[in-house]
Amino acid sequence: MTTSPKAPIVSVDALSVAYRSGGREVPVVREVSLEVSPGRTLALVGESGSGKSTVAATLLGHLRHGSRITGGRVAVDGKDVFALAARELRRLRGGTVAMVAQNAGHALTPSMRIGRQIAEAGGEVPVTDLLEQVRLERPRELARRYPHELSGGQQQRVAIAMAIAARPKVLVLDEPTTGLDVITQRGVLDLVGALREELGLAAVLVSHDLGVVARMADEVCVLSAGRVVEAAPTRRLFAAPADPYTRRLLASVPRIADAGLAVVGEDGMREIRPRADSAGAVDVVDVREMTIDYGASRAVDGVSFSVRRGEVLALVGESGSGKSTIAWSLAGLREPSGGTMGAASGGGAGGSSGDSSGDSSGDGSGGPSDARSGGASGGASGGSRGGLSEGASGGSRGGASGGASGGSPGGPRGGASDSPRGGSPEGASGGSRGSSPGGSRGGASVGSSGGSSGGPRGGSSEGASGGPRGSSSGGDGDLSAPARRRPLALRRTVQLVFQNADTSLNPRRSVGDAVRRPLRFFGTAGSRGEAASRARQLITDVRLEPDFADRLPAQLSGGQRQRIGIARALAGEPDLLIADEITTALDVSVQADVLCLLDDLRRERELACLFISHDLAVVRGIADRVVVLWHGVVVEEGPTDAVFAAPGHPYTKALLAAALEPDPEAEGAAAPAEEWADAAEPGALWDDLGGGHRVRRWRPTDG
Amino acid sequence: MFSFLLRRVVAALGTLLLSSVMVFLAVQALPGDVATQVLGRDATPDAVAALRKQMGLDQPAWERYADWIKGALHGDFGTSLVTTKPVGGEVAQYLGNSALIAVVTVLFAVTGSVVLGVVAGLYRDRWPDQLISTVSLVGMSVPEFVVATVLVLAFSVTVPVFPAVVLYGPGAGVGQLLPAVWLPAASLAIVMAAYIVRMARTSVIDVMASEYVTTARLKGLTTWRVVTRHALPSALLPTLHVIALNVAWLVGGVAVVENVFNYPGIGKLMLTSVQNRDLPVIQAIALISAVVYVVCNLAADLGSMALNPKLRTRGGRIR
Repeated sequence: MTTSPKAPIVSVDALSVAYRSGGREVPVVREVSLEVSPGRTLALVGESGSGKSTVAATLLGHLRHGSRITGGRVAVDGKDVFALAARELRRLRGGTVAMVAQNAGHALTPSMRIGRQIAEAGGEVPVTDLLEQVRLERPRELARRYPHELSGGQQQRVAIAMAIAARPKVLVLDEPTTGLDVITQRGVLDLVGALREELGLAAVLVSHDLGVVARMADEVCVLSAGRVVEAAPTRRLFAAPADPYTRRLLASVPRIADAGLAVVGEDGMREIRPRADSAGAVDVVDVREMTIDYGASRAVDGVSFSVRRGEVLALVGESGSGKSTIAWSLAGLREPSGGTMGAASGGGAGGSSGDSSGDSSGDGSGGPSDARSGGASGGASGGSRGGLSEGASGGSRGGASGGASGGSPGGPRGGASDSPRGGSPEGASGGSRGSSPGGSRGGASVGSSGGSSGGPRGGSSEGASGGPRGSSSGGDGDLSAPARRRPLALRRTVQLVFQNADTSLNPRRSVGDAVRRPLRFFGTAGSRGEAASRARQLITDVRLEPDFADRLPAQLSGGQRQRIGIARALAGEPDLLIADEITTALDVSVQADVLCLLDDLRRERELACLFISHDLAVVRGIADRVVVLWHGVVVEEGPTDAVFAAPGHPYTKALLAAALEPDPEAEGAAAPAEEWADAAEPGALWDDLGGGHRVRRWRPTDG
Repeated sequence: MFSFLLRRVVAALGTLLLSSVMVFLAVQALPGDVATQVLGRDATPDAVAALRKQMGLDQPAWERYADWIKGALHGDFGTSLVTTKPVGGEVAQYLGNSALIAVVTVLFAVTGSVVLGVVAGLYRDRWPDQLISTVSLVGMSVPEFVVATVLVLAFSVTVPVFPAVVLYGPGAGVGQLLPAVWLPAASLAIVMAAYIVRMARTSVIDVMASEYVTTARLKGLTTWRVVTRHALPSALLPTLHVIALNVAWLVGGVAVVENVFNYPGIGKLMLTSVQNRDLPVIQAIALISAVVYVVCNLAADLGSMALNPKLRTRGGRIR
């Protein structure tokens, strides 16, 4: 790359664009000026609505329906883009400037073979050469495929091939890797970087991902509400951001080195919140040897994990690793083909803690768990772990009386405290516990053993027989049943927050209604009036004004909608909240807020959370433990800090190496990924690194 | 792909079978005995019994159904109670005449409305769109017999270009009927096109706003190429089924319009048969309408398969 400044090939001068809406002109871009020289890369950075994509599209003379230029000019290669005749403009688009659109899956025409689509873009370069140039294998065969027959990464490469087909001088990349997972993203970015040098392209990169920007750009232009707030060389900008907005934006980006969740102040100062301590908590959900099939292909193969009360467990992996499939299955949307999933509350919890402490005697393992959860219901009850943990959870959801009655009479014997609860009214109102499988089932098994032999042995016998594993046979605690066949109380224990809050809320119902519905459905709110006031309370709980209840989803921003998604899930008063890529579609600062909210909620409500994400930096901040999935198998799991500090599995290492930090000084060239093969054998699956950190066995295969 | 095809064909056959049963049962459920109907009220019980035996009415319903369906498969729909001629031949004659109108209508309505819909979609919110949308809204809201009457007033009475009514019987040749085809066809086409135009316009607007059309534009392609290669295949997909439904609707629409013009088509035959209680003819016409519906929808399914590679290729399953 040359450092001597050449004449800029792109120059935008005081450009203003407005959008007509309801008779009013809404400015979207205000007096933006920028220049790009050949061989250089300029990044347009900003949050959604900042006008960055609009500016990028003007380089190709494109405006969205209803928008118009209200001032300034755009010149590419010496020509005023918006003064060109139609034929000239087509020549500019076909030859001088090319665009790689945000979502290649949507940017490729579904009814055309990709070979033809690339050929159409013009240029003398044969299609197969282009496909080879974007590092796609078997280009001949690929050219005959339709877009839907390609993976997301392949589609993006095809889109790039299409863009460079006519050998343009300027490449406009509009969020080229947003939808891709880290390893694919790294591959695509490396490809763009290489092509840029090979072909001497000037590039304009639009991105909200500062990690991508730090890696790719020479200069950065930060946009906010259509205005340039800061423009500077990349290194300078990241090292010493001058504008407060830039500072806040930079601070909001989660870092892979953060030891906890970063809380960003108004002034852009970051403060790392220490992790919540959930180490000794009881398990809420326990998954053993789960397998899920899609037709003949196995999406999830023998996955086991458990989530503790008040803990955030992250499932990490690329797309296709099975992480979302697991979430959907837990939520009852997809039936697993094997293994067990238990909502282990009450007795089940007792069993699992017995389990974790190595099937020690009931007394021994009961003690610590009491100390933690016993506050509400009285630690005095001693060895009755089952009863106690139930009481505690009852208390946390407001059923203090349930906790008390569960704890005190049952004192010495878990069984005694459990059995009355199964059928008692407050068991039902207390929620999952009373009628839920875990509770009543565990209770029953404790009851029988407790009844015959008394307190101390209750726990241990349960650990052996009535634990989470036993829950599979128990019937109604069984989460492997699809949602519609789960009893209401069990259905409530697991709630899902969707990735796209905007598509998962009914656009014609007020958001208050969306929250009220589960309240009425699960019977958590008795009357209509109570439901309405509870809904407002829940909306306040997710840090929104209660008046938001009357709005329609379309009247909310993305982050606000996602909060409503969380409130809706909380309305069921779940034990386990599944957050499936909930911040992926959000801007960084909004993402920081939503993550912060999630962290608050799990602390306040002792909520267990299964956090699914492909963004390792986010995971690092929010999660207590991490499970790394690869092609449907767990390759590594352990406490977040341990896994990030010393990843044991080559796949985890590759994921970490592919993650991009918002720091141009970061080591760019990742070490070539180790070649490896699975070496797990039945009976010797794991290498235990201690402290719950274990790695699936593998062996290097480089020849 | 093959399984998709097979499923559609099996479904179509199943629909036909079911509708034949329903047609048969519906006709059976009509009040009154056919033999009494034919012989009149004063017929002796013996004569009625003899006729019933001759017509096979003394046999159980399912046997009669089996006989009827067996005959129908060979084109034999029994004999008309009024003319005592074979129903098949008579219906075929009228059907042929109607087909003349239908073909003209479909040809003009479908091509015209798709073109107009696409134009409206491309010129969204500008005058061609507003003109086309308004006219199609009017066409949609005015019933076909009103349109037919207005056309007669305009083109037969005020400016006598086309005949107002047909004076020939069902046996008239194509040459004799052809001048009389245009007005009925036009009135049907106007009503039918309205729906297709609206649908085509909406889906063209949707597709033109899609990212892949934007990408195609930004590749520097001509508008013609963008529209024909990138937008139309996807835009036509939802339109196809509307077209199929409208073509099937013709069977009913034709009945009304044919009566306005006294055109010797299937609609006219149907009305006369209903008036005369000519049950075998009614049965045959009902079955043929069912066939038209099923065939149209099957054609639409095949058409969407041609336009949508996800249905044609493996791995196109949406999870």
